[in-house]
Amino acid sequence: MTERRWALGILLALGALAFLPLSRARDDVLNFVFLILLSITLAQSWNIVAGYAGQVNLGHAAFFGLGALLARVLWIRGTPIVVAMLAGAALATAFALLIGAPAFRLRGAYFAIGTLALGEILRTTVNNVLPEISTLPAATIAGYQLRHRYYLALALAAVSVVAVTVLAGSRAGLGMQAIREDEEAAEASGVGALRLKLTALALSTALAGLAGGLFAYYHISYYPSHPFGPHWTFDALLMTFIGGVGTLQGPVLGAILYVVLKEYLAVRWVDFHLLIFGALFIAIVLLLPGGLVQAAERARGLVGRRGRRPL
Amino acid sequence: MPLLEVDRVSKGFGGVLAVSGVSFSVAAGELVGIMGPNGSGKTTLFNLIAGALAPDGGRIRLHGRDIAGLAPHRICARGIARTFQLVRPFAGLSALDNVLVGRLYGRAAGGRAAAVAEAERLLVLVGLDGRAATPAARLTLIDRKRLELARALATSPELLLLDEFMAGLNPAETATAMTLVRRLVADGLTVLMVEHIVWALMDLARRILVLSAGEKIAEGPPQAVAADPNVVDVYLGGAPARA
Ligand SMILES: Nc1ncnc2c1ncn2[C@@H]1O[C@H](COP(=O)(O)OP(=O)(O)OP(=O)(O)O)[C@@H](O)[C@H]1O
Ligand SMILES: [Mg+2]
Repeated sequence: MTERRWALGILLALGALAFLPLSRARDDVLNFVFLILLSITLAQSWNIVAGYAGQVNLGHAAFFGLGALLARVLWIRGTPIVVAMLAGAALATAFALLIGAPAFRLRGAYFAIGTLALGEILRTTVNNVLPEISTLPAATIAGYQLRHRYYLALALAAVSVVAVTVLAGSRAGLGMQAIREDEEAAEASGVGALRLKLTALALSTALAGLAGGLFAYYHISYYPSHPFGPHWTFDALLMTFIGGVGTLQGPVLGAILYVVLKEYLAVRWVDFHLLIFGALFIAIVLLLPGGLVQAAERARGLVGRRGRRPL
Repeated sequence: MPLLEVDRVSKGFGGVLAVSGVSFSVAAGELVGIMGPNGSGKTTLFNLIAGALAPDGGRIRLHGRDIAGLAPHRICARGIARTFQLVRPFAGLSALDNVLVGRLYGRAAGGRAAAVAEAERLLVLVGLDGRAATPAARLTLIDRKRLELARALATSPELLLLDEFMAGLNPAETATAMTLVRRLVADGLTVLMVEHIVWALMDLARRILVLSAGEKIAEGPPQAVAADPNVVDVYLGGAPARA
């Protein structure tokens, strides 16, 4: 039930952000919020398969990249962007289902390593086949509206939050969590693990593909292999872990903190910010495996205990 | 037709034959006990029946239909539920959610509200009233065992496999557990139970199978099995028995 409350709160906050462009906010503010919104979607998409179903996908960037790749091509040739993004998401999901069944035969660390390798293979392939930078046509650049990107990002972040809220409260979501906790015990309790893991992967990669399409719509020029880069995976992973893996609010809080911190650190300690994030990540995994969500719970527990203590 | 027929089933791990040509059957409504020294293949036999392992040879039939080698969730759907010797609750989920998994994915029909009501009833039945919201990881060993039982029952099984359910319980808790098992059988459930606590098994089961080194060495009423020279030999002689 607290999940519902978080969902409501987050959606209200997203709703409020819809007024930001109307307030004549500077472009750099809109760009910054855009980045947070894109990150929320990407983190939330990773959270579905890793946080809920317990399958640590280290090749997540592949699906972000595939979404970006197809959406960019279709959109530049005149397809409406939403249609192009949906097509990109469909491609990402189709690919995910193709590799899903064999990949899920690998368990635990092997699944993580297998997906990592897959992502890198895809990135290298795209890099070889499409080595040229992709730049928008001059006419498109002339008519470029940051607001459109911003609102699409807002809508997509909302979609990701609603999707995870619905999932978390559903039978399928419960089955996925059971698999995460103990696949064999889940199977013994009637849970068809393979089918549910594929469902989680499909949902996760569809969202990642949509996020990739948004990336393709936003950037004026980039190398087609760039969205396939492993840092997209690790960004999503870090944000989810910082916030709280397997919760609705965790990836949202994590994305905000991560983007803000990264921007701040990148300005001041250009060379060190990766190191700092690495250290932060290790500290979280060791000290607070539940991320910010767990930290808040602990703090509340401490306060509550003090409150209940007889005078 | 018996509910469960195990017909010359075998399973090896590398060179070790963990279960070797074991046959027996269980009629609906029966409570059958299995005993045997450590490593005699009891858990492996359960894993074969529940689908966690596929047999190398032999047949396992439920209501006359072969189930050997089916995925565990399909066997659960056919009506067999189990508990694990080393408890395996969903640690991060609440007690209620643990049982809800069994209810929502088992054979029971009905909506979410009915499922929650039934899960709550089962928590009370096993003695976990008031624990519904507690994460399974925070329950004591006994309570985690109770939770596993509730989760298994939630799938609406016809046949329940209990693997050393009483191990680690004190005498009072054992007595409570025995009452509970008796009640389940009285309500129509068929139970196959592995137990090291011999007096509990003698008291509960009308029929006991004895395994040794993967083979069935005796089968019959408790008194007859206890007097069987093969059994006496295994428990007092060569093979190591649990203290
Ligand atoms: N997954 C496995 N891989 C390899 N060997 C196994 C496996 N499971 C069981 N064995 C071996 O099979 C034999 C039977 O083991 P099993 O666990 O079935 O015995 P058990 O009767 O349940 O013993 P206990 O009373 O200790 O629970 C043992 O020699 C064990 O080491
Ligand atoms: Mg055993």
